[in-house]
Amino acid sequence: MRFIFNLTKREIRSSWQRLLFFFLCIALGVGSVVALRSLIQNLTKVVGNDARALMTADLEVTSTNDFSPSEIAKIEEVIAAFPIIEDRNEVITTASMARPSDPANTALEFIELKGIEPPFPLVGTFSLSSGEPFDFKLLENSGAVIARILTEELNVKVGDKLKIAETEFQIRGTFDEEPGGTSGFRLGSRIFVEKKAFDQAGITRNTSRIRRRILYRTSDNPTELVRALRTALTGTTVQVNSYREQQENLGEQFERTENYLALTGLLILVLGGVGVWNVARAFVEQKRKTVAVLKCLGAGGNRVITVYLLQILTLGIIGSLFGVLLAQGGLLIAKQQFAADLPEKMSYAVSFSTAIQGIILGVLISLLFSALPLLQIRTIKPKLLLRDENNAALSRLDWTKWIFGAVSLAGLLAVAVWQAGSVRVGMYFLGGLAATGLVLYGSATLLTWLLRKVKVLTSFSFRQAVNSLYRPGNQTRIILLAVGLGAFVVITVQIMQANLVREFDFSRNRRLPSLVFVDIQRSQIEDLARLIKERTGETPEQTPTVRARISFVNGEPIDYQQREVRQQQGQIGREFAITYREALEENETVIDGSWWKPGEAPELPEVSVDERMASTLKVGPGDSMTFDISGRKITALVSSVRKIDVRNARTAFVFVFKPGSLEKAPQSFAATTLNHVPATDRQRLQRDILDRFPNVQIFDVADIIAAVNRLVNNFVIAISFVGSFVLLSGFLILIGSVALTKSQRIYENAILKTLGARRRALATILFTEYGLLGLLAGIIASGFGVTLSYLVSRFLMKIDWVFDPVIAGLGVLVTAVLVTFVGVAASFDVLFRKPLATLRSQ
Amino acid sequence: MIQLKNVTKTVRSGAEELTILNDVSFDIAAGQFVAVTGASGSGKSTLLGLIAGLDAPSSGVISVDGDEVTAMSEDGLARLRSEKIGFIFQSFHLIPSLTAYENILIPMEILGLDNVRERANGLIEQVDLTNRGHHYPAELSGGEQQRIAIARAFANSPKIMLADEPTGNLDSKNGQHIFDLMKDLHSRNNVTLVLVTHDAALAARAERRIVLADGEVIRDDLT
Repeated sequence: MRFIFNLTKREIRSSWQRLLFFFLCIALGVGSVVALRSLIQNLTKVVGNDARALMTADLEVTSTNDFSPSEIAKIEEVIAAFPIIEDRNEVITTASMARPSDPANTALEFIELKGIEPPFPLVGTFSLSSGEPFDFKLLENSGAVIARILTEELNVKVGDKLKIAETEFQIRGTFDEEPGGTSGFRLGSRIFVEKKAFDQAGITRNTSRIRRRILYRTSDNPTELVRALRTALTGTTVQVNSYREQQENLGEQFERTENYLALTGLLILVLGGVGVWNVARAFVEQKRKTVAVLKCLGAGGNRVITVYLLQILTLGIIGSLFGVLLAQGGLLIAKQQFAADLPEKMSYAVSFSTAIQGIILGVLISLLFSALPLLQIRTIKPKLLLRDENNAALSRLDWTKWIFGAVSLAGLLAVAVWQAGSVRVGMYFLGGLAATGLVLYGSATLLTWLLRKVKVLTSFSFRQAVNSLYRPGNQTRIILLAVGLGAFVVITVQIMQANLVREFDFSRNRRLPSLVFVDIQRSQIEDLARLIKERTGETPEQTPTVRARISFVNGEPIDYQQREVRQQQGQIGREFAITYREALEENETVIDGSWWKPGEAPELPEVSVDERMASTLKVGPGDSMTFDISGRKITALVSSVRKIDVRNARTAFVFVFKPGSLEKAPQSFAATTLNHVPATDRQRLQRDILDRFPNVQIFDVADIIAAVNRLVNNFVIAISFVGSFVLLSGFLILIGSVALTKSQRIYENAILKTLGARRRALATILFTEYGLLGLLAGIIASGFGVTLSYLVSRFLMKIDWVFDPVIAGLGVLVTAVLVTFVGVAASFDVLFRKPLATLRSQ
Repeated sequence: MIQLKNVTKTVRSGAEELTILNDVSFDIAAGQFVAVTGASGSGKSTLLGLIAGLDAPSSGVISVDGDEVTAMSEDGLARLRSEKIGFIFQSFHLIPSLTAYENILIPMEILGLDNVRERANGLIEQVDLTNRGHHYPAELSGGEQQRIAIARAFANSPKIMLADEPTGNLDSKNGQHIFDLMKDLHSRNNVTLVLVTHDAALAARAERRIVLADGEVIRDDLT
């Protein structure tokens, strides 16, 4: 053992520089896994680890309608049978607009209004910005407590007054964090008012996007109670949720996200593994003589392998530790880059468990990828010290090698499954990676083969450069694979970004509205339209909207108490805005059934259903659907299925009724304008409309698009960040590969110099070789980037895809320049070696 | 100490079968100093390699100190070399990543001996390189490297010392010095010394001379 440890120590001392790339490959991979996992874990901790605090209760009963007396009776009956209720309160929320009462202040913001009653919150705490606990007295007599950011956005302070809908509230305090307020995407910031004031203020009268909640705190597990409530409320649109279920769902979602992100990290780590494999192979090649001497001095093959295995293990551990440091650095960069979009209290520290996991992963990958090359040590015979000849015995089938290969592969699969948290996903990951690798490798082989076929190589340097790509032991295809993969990810992301930005480009989309007004009452629509016409010169398009829920499909009720239905709640359980009209819109096409003919008298109401909803509900022409409109049921025959081109949509209604059946139903109007008015005019118009029609809600599409663009940009930055890590791994492999064939290059250069080649010619060879390599890598990366972005755009995101020659061309160029730079920089010193010393030492 | 019986070694060279050693048989007694000479390609180095178990003969039997080398496994041979055989090469074959001193330590550490440092110090002193122990092979001259290689070969007090043209890469002065050192260590430690050399003058100073030509022993006489 002493021999093994001593030799390991000495070997590390002398060859750590050569193994530096090994070390960096592992560090980069481990860094990625640890950083990504820590990021999402820390996010989970802030956002979702406490569903109970998010719900601010143990149990909630919620509805988007007023609770009907029969629903309330049912709820109360069940509640009375369970003596576990400790406390309850009611909460009501809606989206609205807030504006300062001061007429000189023209600011205006979209807000989320929440009406509460004591005790609040039932679970968790609520502190004001000042640090004092929230006191319900602040809300009494038209008081409001608002998110601090609103004081900046609306340019108001505590004590000022705000108008929300038709009511005026005085700002009595601000808060930084509200109970249950950190999760989900919201359009506006929160304002708390008294529930009583909410009801009295007329906000509930005209607006339809209201959610009512009855919250309960229980002294015991509420699972049974939830079940009883669901049974009692079957057939109604009331939903019952417990924090435990939310917790499970949240937990699952975060875990899935974490595992997918970890797989991205694993991709970088596996690339690092390819680097490790390469370095280990070269290392063994360089150590052949040393191994032979050791064997000659009496060391058995296994002991020698153990020495080098220990060396790899040590470097793997140090590399992994360094990776953890890198991860910490990466998290700090993430903090700088994304802090504004991430929760304020989020930690940016690497978690201990992820660090340990990263180190284990790093060591495993080091071992898995170096096992096969190290096995080669067995075949090194001490007799090569007497006569250096290639081992002829290698050609026969080496079972140990195959077995180790299989074990390594199984190990890699186990690692992927472990990281993915699923056998299926792990297998897909490895299969996908292998397929991508094979395709890239195949393309690399094809391109280099084609290059060699180019017969018209008159230039000496060019010919030599091409020949160098085929030098024995060349790394051409490995480099093309590694660098190509990295550049491929980056280029794909760039093309996707360009397409996404184009997709949301305001000016391109002529039917995309600039302003959307909703919740306009019948009595208001004419005046409002006139006002808009006066100010913008455009008569807004007016659409009647009726709020409805689906009750029955072909006479069968939709049971919202069922788990699957509840999970699809966002899609089918929600309240829909439906409309009625004579004609199809420009952006709609009937794909099944037929559109009604104008003037046809209806026997039964008819409805046309959007294609996606039709497939979710499994309905088609001839089926019947029953809608609940403010408690009244209307049954309609599905007469057609429409495809809506949402990219060119002014409105996109999932359900459109044939005129004649909904005109008498309670309805409001939506109005849209298309003309692009300057931002200040838009702001003034909105303000004036709100002053006259306080119940109307206005969406400034430019704001929404800006928010979406910011989301897209963050997404792109995040993916590019990961992509650049992949690229960096590729370059590490490139540098490592340059080092591997360096002695050969030195020897070749010495011979060429002796034969009269000048340094200039040798430099040209060097530049041409790496230039060609870079060009090939760029072509592969750009080619696949264009293909993948096309596939993702058309089939996954279903957005328009446009070929962007600038990005594709730049991709090739930048890759070529980078590869040339890195390759030449890593081998430049070769040009300055004196030939004699080199030739003598051979 | 060393017995060779009908040892033949053939290798395949392209389509042809090349006989390097042809039916070679001889015994070497314990403590004897034998010089093996012959022209280039006569099979001298191969013979030495076969005795050390670095390669296996195509046919025939080789025994070293009662152990049948030709019947041993790779690891068995490694153990045999570790315990009983010291080997000196023409091109030294020191491990480049270890210092001179560490190169001497290696065989003792492989065998798991105690007090290896003291012994290494003694050996480095015997080859007169006390001040060069911390140098790497690349920082030593050829003569110095070979002296370290000799110290390494003697580190485990082997019964047999095999030297493959140890002075071949050295000038005559250094060559002489190395030869004297080996002879001195041989007589002081009473090891069996088999020396392959081109140099007739050096061979003449051995106790016995075996001459090879085309893979066969053509002369075997005591000097």
